[in-house]
Amino acid sequence: MWTTVLVSGISMGSFYILIALGFALIFGVTRYFNLAHGELVVLAGYVAYWLWNVYALSFVLTFPVAILVLFLICLGLKRLFARLTEPLELNSIVLSFGIAIVIQNSMLFLFSGNYRLIRIPSLNKSFHFHEVYMSYGQLTLLVLSLIVIFLLYILMYRTYLGKALRATIQNKEAAALAGINVTIMGTFAFCLGAVLIGLAGPLYGCTHYLYPSTGHEVTLLAITITIFAGVGRLSGIILAGWILGLAEAFTVILCGSSWREMVTALLLLILLAFKPYGILGNRES
Amino acid sequence: MINIKTKNFRYGFNKGLSPDKVSLLMGLFLLLLLPLLVRQNDYILQVFTHALLLATLALAWNILGLSGSISLGHAAFFGSGAYASALLSLDLGLSLWITIPLAGFIAAGLGFIMGLICMRLRGAYFALATLAFIEIPRVITDNWDEVTRGSLGLVGLPGFPSLNLGTWHIDFYSSFTASYYLVFIYFLLLLGLVGFIFRSNLGLALQAIREEEIASQAVGIRANSFRLFSMLLSAFFTGVSGACYAHLVRYINPGLVFGLHFSAIPMIFAICGGRFTIIGPALAALIIYPLDQFIFHPLIPTGHEFLYGAVLIFAVLFMPAGFWGSIQRTTN
Amino acid sequence: MFEIFTMKKLPKSRRNFFLSFIRCFCIIFCLSILAFRSNTSSAATIKIGEINPLSGGLAKNGIEIHQGIEVAVAEANEAGGIGGNQLELISRDDQSRPDVAISRAEELCSWQKVAALTGGYVDSLVGPIAAVAKKYRIPYVASASLQKELAQCKNPFFFRVSRLQDFVEPLCGILTQRFKPQHLAILHAATPGSSELARDLERCLKTHGLNVKLIEKFRPGTPNFTPLIAKMAGMNIDVIVSGGFTPDHILLVRQLKENRISPKAFIGPFGIAYESFIKTMGKDADYLYSTCAWNPGITEPGTEAASIAFIQRFVRMFKQQPNTTNMHGYTSARALIAAMQAVLHNGLPLTGDNIRMALTKLDLVLPMEHLAFDKTGDPLHYKHVVVQIQKEKLVVVYPSDRASGQPVYPMPPWDQR
Repeated sequence: MWTTVLVSGISMGSFYILIALGFALIFGVTRYFNLAHGELVVLAGYVAYWLWNVYALSFVLTFPVAILVLFLICLGLKRLFARLTEPLELNSIVLSFGIAIVIQNSMLFLFSGNYRLIRIPSLNKSFHFHEVYMSYGQLTLLVLSLIVIFLLYILMYRTYLGKALRATIQNKEAAALAGINVTIMGTFAFCLGAVLIGLAGPLYGCTHYLYPSTGHEVTLLAITITIFAGVGRLSGIILAGWILGLAEAFTVILCGSSWREMVTALLLLILLAFKPYGILGNRES
Repeated sequence: MINIKTKNFRYGFNKGLSPDKVSLLMGLFLLLLLPLLVRQNDYILQVFTHALLLATLALAWNILGLSGSISLGHAAFFGSGAYASALLSLDLGLSLWITIPLAGFIAAGLGFIMGLICMRLRGAYFALATLAFIEIPRVITDNWDEVTRGSLGLVGLPGFPSLNLGTWHIDFYSSFTASYYLVFIYFLLLLGLVGFIFRSNLGLALQAIREEEIASQAVGIRANSFRLFSMLLSAFFTGVSGACYAHLVRYINPGLVFGLHFSAIPMIFAICGGRFTIIGPALAALIIYPLDQFIFHPLIPTGHEFLYGAVLIFAVLFMPAGFWGSIQRTTN
Repeated sequence: MFEIFTMKKLPKSRRNFFLSFIRCFCIIFCLSILAFRSNTSSAATIKIGEINPLSGGLAKNGIEIHQGIEVAVAEANEAGGIGGNQLELISRDDQSRPDVAISRAEELCSWQKVAALTGGYVDSLVGPIAAVAKKYRIPYVASASLQKELAQCKNPFFFRVSRLQDFVEPLCGILTQRFKPQHLAILHAATPGSSELARDLERCLKTHGLNVKLIEKFRPGTPNFTPLIAKMAGMNIDVIVSGGFTPDHILLVRQLKENRISPKAFIGPFGIAYESFIKTMGKDADYLYSTCAWNPGITEPGTEAASIAFIQRFVRMFKQQPNTTNMHGYTSARALIAAMQAVLHNGLPLTGDNIRMALTKLDLVLPMEHLAFDKTGDPLHYKHVVVQIQKEKLVVVYPSDRASGQPVYPMPPWDQR
């Protein structure tokens, strides 16, 4: 029993990491909280669902289209965020809250509130692994998330762009002084974020039921993981995702399924109350 | 949100009969006469009753908003107030005139707990903490079957008891006019109270905290204590509004009263109407909610609530001081 | 461009006038829009209102109830209407949200001035609508409501065509008489009807000496049941009763298969006995149990002709086979139509109180049940049978007087299919 729980927790946790990466990147570079993050993931999922359902597009091909749509939307969002005045973080929360409501209702209008699921039969087959059965769906989530994290790692730590991004994350003013164009970095962050959300969305659509109001839970997840990890640490996000996935799984076993939703919220509250700058992160001024 | 450097910032209650005061009185007069104006249409009355209730929520939210804190989690107080009053009146049979204030105190107690957790946080982090906080009372209420009936919700709650004033028999259940005036009176009381708070020392202290926290602390204002106190007041009145809602609608369940609907909407009204004004939030509630129900809902049956998101975006980007706040700033 | 809103450029006196004007204008504007749009009911039609979740998580079921009601209304109109007047069905969507249900009910009762209300799915939506109906003294026949308290609420204007104990009794019967599991688990969704089903089923089982090992509540729409499945496997659960809805069953059964956990029986009272579920799941749906009030081929004895007529009309109108949810909508609408006919037949005006009175005296034999209401508004003769999906078809397995086949128990493990 415990190995099944472990496997489930880790694979779900890996997916949470993928979801949170986009949020963390945008927040790290631009210091904007994007409370509409969950709605964007769900929107990407809907785009993939629509293509898969109406146009019978192969699931793999829905990813590039979802990424493209999110690209355009995120660029639009960046322009909205750019108009914000001080204090940036608080105003970005309020603004993105409004954007989340607009996106949620647009999805309600366009797709209605029915539960939608992208059904891929091959993902439901399972294979034997020691004493545990793992579905190909769980395996895909795990492997894909790890691949994306690895690629992101290469980008951030082995390229010049990544270096500039990391510099901006660590200290915006110092980066600007060093000659990095902080605004362009912000745009890059949004673009990268769009790619990550575009990857997470279709995956969300084939593992979870899509309905307009599910975005809120996703946003809360992303925020919790980002705050847990602190700003600018990839390893923190990986750890945070896995811990959250495992915490949820163990809560179900020990306390019952009905307490599952409280785990994320409780974790976030505890973090904010005691360690708002992350478990592993450095203290920000 | 805005660094206001001018010192003569009054909230529109100048001495004498200023134009703002006149328009305020005119608006209140119209609301007073509303039932007579819409004799044939109970639906309009119901919508405005709900709008007035939301206005009280927005006013209560604004007590905390005055200190510059944005709370995304007031549904926690609304829901706990609703459940407290409902359970006390249903299970213990207490009169509503007791359970409703008691519900306010219970909500304030919850506000105290939230305050203890969140008081050290500022700005964005405070907002996030309040967002997470809603889940706690909601999941507990949903799971604590023995006391709250869990997901079953509470059915058949007692309504307001009928009053006998001389020859007048007022039955709140069947008379929509009576429940409208009940909420209207509560709204007036809260409006007066909020006005009093804004002009009192507490109000001045909260403004000072909002604008320059470090400087105000240097002057001796203990920021955390004042914010905590404003949180308690805000939670109290939100709880009372929640209790009123429960006894007007007579059916509640966790998803309904702890929903984001009651968290987001007061915040939206307060920000769009004007966070630093007294009547701004109420004004926004009384204009936007009927607009949504009468015009947008028939036009766009699913998805009409985008209106709330749209006005919020508009307010944040173009009118940070809110509609009434922007008008007021040019008074001075 | 937007400076006008900050109004920095206008002179002071003009601005004050402007702002007062705006305030009054807004309120008057709203009111005038209303007066302009206020509804004048045409005297020739009789209005029936329905409120269903046509969007949101329960949309599938809400739409099915709506379709059933439409069939009943079309049937009545084709036969000449009621007392010579055609019926007008006014539909509203409550978006699976109680607050929207309340405002739609208010709108239908006070603005549209409907003669009666029907529809509804899930008690968190039906409850508020019933409260509004009582306030306006308009009868409400709920198509799908289970929560016991709603009927006990002394609401003379609330009626319903379904009842919780008729879900519980056959389940209790088959579990205690046929299956006799060692370790039973009851899962239920966080909705009133599902929670109450779990509670009443546990009580009923206890009085027959069967103890439930595990009761768990989950939120409808939960994405991942694997930890719960692992927990049940760890407790050696042999029979699972799951009070979730169709989407939950699809996920749960699929994840049971992924983890190669084969309980001896899986019973899903709501949401399994549907052709759409069988089509979605294919072979994986075999050997699952459910309860059913009506299905093409499973009908109240003596009503076969009416059942076939209903199916034919439904197929003609919607190009698909009807299911039990459609029939619930149809039954509730038929109740209202029959009551209104009785009122007009006696020469009385069509008021809420008269329709209510007629409903209390109703006695109608319909494919789903012999419909008559008791003093609290509950149906007297609502019955469910336990069905099992065998070779992708529904087979009645309990009670024996209506059974058409034997249950296959235990369910063959996933590997051996």
